Amino acid sequence: MIQVQELRKVFHDRKKGEIPAVGGISFTCRPGQVFGLLGRNGAGKTTTLRMLATILAPTSGTAVVQGFDIVRQGADVRRSIGYLSGDTNLYGRLTGREILGYFGALAGMEPAAVAKRVEELRETFDLGEVLGKRVVNMSTGMKQRLSVARVVLHDPPVLIFDEPTAGLDVIGAREVLRIVQEFRGRGRTVIFSTHIMTEAERLCDEVAIIEQGAILAQGTVEELRRRVNGASLEDAFIDVVGSVNDGR
Amino acid sequence: MAGKIGAIYRKEIIDTLRDGRSVFAIFVFPFLLYPAMILFMGWIHAKSAEEAKVLPVRVGLVGAAQVPGLADSVGAQQAVTAVALSAVPDSLETSGVNAVLEVPEDAAARLGRGDSAKVILYYKDADDRSSAAGDRMKPVMEWLRRTLTVAWAREHGATIDAPPALDVERRDISSKAEVGRSVAALVIPYLLVFMIAAGAMHTAVDATTGEKERSTLETILASSASRAELVLGKCAAVLSASLTGAITGIFGLWFSFAVVANAFSALSDQSLQFSVGPMAMLWIFLSILPAAVFLCAVLVAIGCFARSMREGQTYATYVYMAAVFLGLGSFSGQHDIPLQRFFIPILNTALLQREILTNAVVPLHALAAIGTSVLAAAVMLGIAMRLFSNESVLFRT
Repeated sequence: MIQVQELRKVFHDRKKGEIPAVGGISFTCRPGQVFGLLGRNGAGKTTTLRMLATILAPTSGTAVVQGFDIVRQGADVRRSIGYLSGDTNLYGRLTGREILGYFGALAGMEPAAVAKRVEELRETFDLGEVLGKRVVNMSTGMKQRLSVARVVLHDPPVLIFDEPTAGLDVIGAREVLRIVQEFRGRGRTVIFSTHIMTEAERLCDEVAIIEQGAILAQGTVEELRRRVNGASLEDAFIDVVGSVNDGR
Repeated sequence: MAGKIGAIYRKEIIDTLRDGRSVFAIFVFPFLLYPAMILFMGWIHAKSAEEAKVLPVRVGLVGAAQVPGLADSVGAQQAVTAVALSAVPDSLETSGVNAVLEVPEDAAARLGRGDSAKVILYYKDADDRSSAAGDRMKPVMEWLRRTLTVAWAREHGATIDAPPALDVERRDISSKAEVGRSVAALVIPYLLVFMIAAGAMHTAVDATTGEKERSTLETILASSASRAELVLGKCAAVLSASLTGAITGIFGLWFSFAVVANAFSALSDQSLQFSVGPMAMLWIFLSILPAAVFLCAVLVAIGCFARSMREGQTYATYVYMAAVFLGLGSFSGQHDIPLQRFFIPILNTALLQREILTNAVVPLHALAAIGTSVLAAAVMLGIAMRLFSNESVLFRT
């Protein structure tokens, strides 16, 4: 479960001064649900998710992830989440098994537990060829499967995906979406950011449209579609975002 | 906590060993740089010689009564105190003098009879102060040669064809081990500082700025490892790389002087006997650890701050050069080193290494050097952890 209350983030830049990135957003994401954050590049999606992952500290507001406050109980939050961003990479000189061993250790897992879990994940993510190979020699698809395996290695109840299909081909992206759906089926809390509307339509139980750090619309995909008389989510998105930019 | 630090450590070591730059810095760089360093050392040696000219020394005189004015001539030299001795002592160290000038009891009579006579100056080139005394006595030796020759000529009416069989000799009584120890004390402290900095810089930048550049930083920041654990694990890996670089560098030096030089007859005169005992080695290792941790923490902090590998390497090069120049400071002012110098990180360690290698450790110096280095290392680790927890530093663009 993720409960976000008036979460706000302002960056300070010596030259540009204060840069508001997220301006007091609130939403709730429940177990067994995929919550989608839809927005353009720079809308505030990544900053929001980084705050939920305790990578960035909020300027004000609160968020509770799996019962832990992101400001006061950062370590507990991080133990409860798996975080994957489309921008992140893996260590090129390490093998798949070494990567998983490393992140298992960082998650506080014993080596034997990591080895057992890796065997479990081998089939789920088709890691057979990946485990013994150095990342630098892997295909993009292999890397993505390994990245997802890394995220779920410690079996976290909350999964945070920040544009996880960025840079992937159709097949790779489809595979990632399948995995996300699988986590929802297992009762995990999943928050998923994207700017690709078809992904959100296919995956998300609830969607929040974010623009300039503010949530402009929130509801199920159907509810948002109704705003534009049953047209696509993309139309609804353009309608919502356009109304702000047009000053409507 | 230890498990996580160990995991970070292991990962960083694997990563480092698979990075060509780091391997180059640890295993190859030390062997390439010696020629350049030897040039530098020549310059430093010249500066040291100037300092040695004003160093107070004590010269023992045996048989000074044989040559009227000898004690005055010795005393007239800059910062030389003449000490009358009845015989040449067995050891310069225990007799309280830095050199001994021996005029045979019957030198004047022997020359008068047409026999040979030998005046000998005993000193040790391997000892800084004794070597300075030996240099300071060169004019006295010349004065002695002239005085005894003139006396002999007067006695013989200056009409004899052959000059007197007078031999005035400067005799270096340093053992090969003492020479080796002297060279080791001069070279090893500087090299250790130099090689620790060289070994650490690439690993430190790769382990910190590299995380940003490879886009792996977020993955570890979102893990349940604390920022302190991440920094400590990285520092431990950087420390291992730097100490390994230092050890391989010292091994390379020993190999050059003790094995390669002995293997070729043309070079055998340049061979040295390095005899650093296990206790001295242990003390050297223990005394350099805080300085190495300090240097590694500085480089990790800088790596956290840098936005790109290029920027990180540039900053690291500055740190490296600063460390090298501080290390070079240990070459000058080798005598009566002021206590203040033992409060300067890096330089204090190099100076303490010198004292350890010459069995001349001053406890207050050791306390000041190690205390300062431990404090500096702790402060720098704290700064590195703060920087690694500061999002405006980690994500600055």
